[in-house]
Amino acid sequence: MRIRQSILLATTALALTVAAVQPSVADTSDKRIALSNNYAGNSWRQAMLKSWGKNAEQAVSAGTVAAGDAFTTAENQATEQAAQIQNLILQGYDAIVVNAASPTALNGAVKEACDAGIVVVSFDGVVTEPCAWRIAVDFKKMGEIQVDYLSGRLPDGGELLEIRGLAGVFVDDEIHSGIEAGVANHDKFNVAGSVHGEWTQTVAQKAVAGILPSMPEIVAVVTQGGDGYGAAQAFSAAGRPTPIIIMGNRHDELTWWKEQKDANGYETMSVSIAPGVSTLAFWVAQQILDGQDVPKELIVPFLQIDQADLEEGLANTEPGGVSNVEYSLDDAKAYLESVK
Amino acid sequence: MKQLEMFMRQHPWSWSFLAAFLTWAVTAAYISGTGGLALASTALSFSTFFVMVGIGQMFVITLGPGNVDLSIPSTITLSAVVSMMVMDGTNAMILPGILAAVGVGVLVGLFNYGLIRVLTIPPIIATMSSSFLVQSSAIALGRGVKIKPPAALEWISTAKMLGVPVLSLLVIAFAIVMAVLLNRTVYGRSVTAFGQNTRAARLAGVPIERIRYLTYTLSAVLAAVCGVFLAGFSGGSSLNMGEEYLLASIAVVVIGGSSIAGGNSNVPGIFGSALFLFLLVAMLNTFGAAAGLRLILTGLIIVGVVTFAGGRKESR
Repeated sequence: MRIRQSILLATTALALTVAAVQPSVADTSDKRIALSNNYAGNSWRQAMLKSWGKNAEQAVSAGTVAAGDAFTTAENQATEQAAQIQNLILQGYDAIVVNAASPTALNGAVKEACDAGIVVVSFDGVVTEPCAWRIAVDFKKMGEIQVDYLSGRLPDGGELLEIRGLAGVFVDDEIHSGIEAGVANHDKFNVAGSVHGEWTQTVAQKAVAGILPSMPEIVAVVTQGGDGYGAAQAFSAAGRPTPIIIMGNRHDELTWWKEQKDANGYETMSVSIAPGVSTLAFWVAQQILDGQDVPKELIVPFLQIDQADLEEGLANTEPGGVSNVEYSLDDAKAYLESVK
Repeated sequence: MKQLEMFMRQHPWSWSFLAAFLTWAVTAAYISGTGGLALASTALSFSTFFVMVGIGQMFVITLGPGNVDLSIPSTITLSAVVSMMVMDGTNAMILPGILAAVGVGVLVGLFNYGLIRVLTIPPIIATMSSSFLVQSSAIALGRGVKIKPPAALEWISTAKMLGVPVLSLLVIAFAIVMAVLLNRTVYGRSVTAFGQNTRAARLAGVPIERIRYLTYTLSAVLAAVCGVFLAGFSGGSSLNMGEEYLLASIAVVVIGGSSIAGGNSNVPGIFGSALFLFLLVAMLNTFGAAAGLRLILTGLIIVGVVTFAGGRKESR
């Protein structure tokens, strides 16, 4: 009982301090921003957290904000993340940046945060709750440009193999619909088979190896990122010629591409979202706290690497990581200016 | 026909082979040319990894209700990360790398056992919580950096002789050793006795705590060795490489005709069900089944096979 009371007192005290600093709108030096993240178990998420951490540390030491702490749930469950957001509300953060486990299941917790006067910015895995900001990626376009690129490379078209992501996830459906639209635009192409690679190299390798024996000659593989290297290995294990495999900006994929390019002039392209989008979300939250007028719906460009940029792209990608673009405060301001 | 039926009733593992064969035959009939043989060869390749971890999981499950090792996926990842770092792409360091991976396995096994014994945490919770620690170690240590496996390791993991994967031959030999270990040694009989009735086993003089320790260590070491070869097979370690082995390691044991309640297990069924699970997904992919339908069918077919394989109980 005593513990509960002291927590109550602490929260009230915190609420009072927050209320006390409310008037100085234009200054964010005492504002605290939290990142609520649902998953950390792959290289993209690791890079995302790293970008966030580095950027937040600089922002704190420069005195732009008071804190930029990152929290990741262990189980990738919406219920767990909802509880985490509730904790962050109690801890009195001024803004919560969310990469959500579900577009809808967190809406309750997000609404609670908004009602408590907290700025909520969702990115990558966005939430549908209207009070939150959304920094979304045009995933459909990401699928479409793959087929556009292939139509330039292969004017005669041919049979494609599609590697999809995780069944039932919004991102997978979006990229897939983009690929469908692309194939509809370029009717010389046909998707001969489709497997779920779950954005994971080993899973993609297994799934592709399983379907290859039944496939006709495949001219290209359209992907969602994280699966290109596994697909390449499945083709080589089956003794088939390597088709044009679209890559997803992972270091292993770019390294493989570079090896092939040096060995036999292999050409392809690579596209994915830069994990540094977390830093954009950070600055968007900061700008909102700063009193700036920011539109609720934002779209970030994806990061595309072409044959000519390969060496540069590889050099900018940490071993084990994903090609990255990080945003500084000025970059974020310029971006927000451009979407106004 | 009657004899075949008798055989299948007495050998619950035969159902998984029948299921694997039928799945293969249906797919092969659909594919033109020699695709069916290529499919069989691919299935052998991929099933070896499931057999490796499945055998470890089988020994743990044999210990009886509540015994299951959920730390297998993270152990695969950590050992792959550690061994690739030790090997650093050089053939000369393969042996030290494998030893380091085995060391990882022994440590994880010891840790799991420590949680179960000293802190008396139920195995399912103990191995789940240790898996978080192990996975975090892998993330902290490897940071997702992909180190290429040494050429010799890559060769042994992917090489084929007349279409038969070399690694699968090694794993078949290993599975035979494990079958002897389960059925013909004091250790194996003790594991079975442990699962049938722990109290009776203790009264009969079975050193149950030592058996339990050895079994959890065996499971972790097998997962660790699997991690090394999986890294060799797929061109390096990745942070989520072990993920799909959590449910699969349990599924191959159960579909293979071993009792989920423990005390009654067999090794061959693990091979049959590992082949079956791979071929089932390959078949549904080949027929172009949508993801939802594929999951439903996978579920239904597994229920069917387990029901058939479990039918032996009434015949006794």
